[in-house]
Amino acid sequence: MTYIPSADDLEVITREVWTSFLDGDPAGLIATSGDMPADKITGCVHLSGAYTGSIMLQCSPPAARDAAAALFSIAPGAVTQTEVVDALGEIANMVGGNVKSMLPGPSALSLPSVVQGQLSLPGTRMVREVQLSWRAEPLFVSLWQQAS
Amino acid sequence: MLAMVIDDSSAMRLILGRIMRSLGFDVVDAPNGAEAIARLQSGVLPDIALVDWNMPVMDGLAFVNAVRREEKWRQITLMMVTTESEQSQIVRALAAGAHEYVIKPFTPDAIADKLALLGVLAY
Repeated sequence: MTYIPSADDLEVITREVWTSFLDGDPAGLIATSGDMPADKITGCVHLSGAYTGSIMLQCSPPAARDAAAALFSIAPGAVTQTEVVDALGEIANMVGGNVKSMLPGPSALSLPSVVQGQLSLPGTRMVREVQLSWRAEPLFVSLWQQAS
Repeated sequence: MLAMVIDDSSAMRLILGRIMRSLGFDVVDAPNGAEAIARLQSGVLPDIALVDWNMPVMDGLAFVNAVRREEKWRQITLMMVTTESEQSQIVRALAAGAHEYVIKPFTPDAIADKLALLGVLAY
């Protein structure tokens, strides 16, 4: 039977990325539940191999802008769309790579993709999700698995 | 001493570049292995290269293999800095000729500690 990392695992990994690069305050990310706006920013990496699926990170545009500002050490108002894409892609890559290490291997990790709105993952189902908030903005991380 | 940071994320190049400068290195960077090879071929010879694994055009493992095939680049210390944390991948990178392996996310101290272990510190 395939071990699937828990929602707590997703949260721990996300917190580690956040405290390392985005917000030194461990209390900055808060477990919560809420709604994600339709114009959310989605970063995603795909796994193929012993485990086939995806790790998706979604956040509101203000959270994406603030995350990019933190990574690039610039003012939020100076963040460009290119920097948002770069930052969300790298964050998805870091979260995804660490989730991958908990899944059956070997699997290949894709380059990240970043879109505004919902990313369609046909033939997969969400198996885990953690809902967080950062600076009062929603941040969801989810693990998807290819339907067998 | 000169460090080359190779990562397709400009944010990560910025972060690693800042850490390396704080440790006394001069820094050049490249967004993928192919551009890094081009810089080496142009005569840039870093003391250490910090190499991401998953990059477009030429990935980090291909870069390590390419560097290790060239005698003139043997002196470059290669450190993977990547999210690839599967044991089998780490073994592949080390077998190809990487000297050390750092998994993202990292702290500046973790980078400094690895450099100290390698004996590659600018001061």
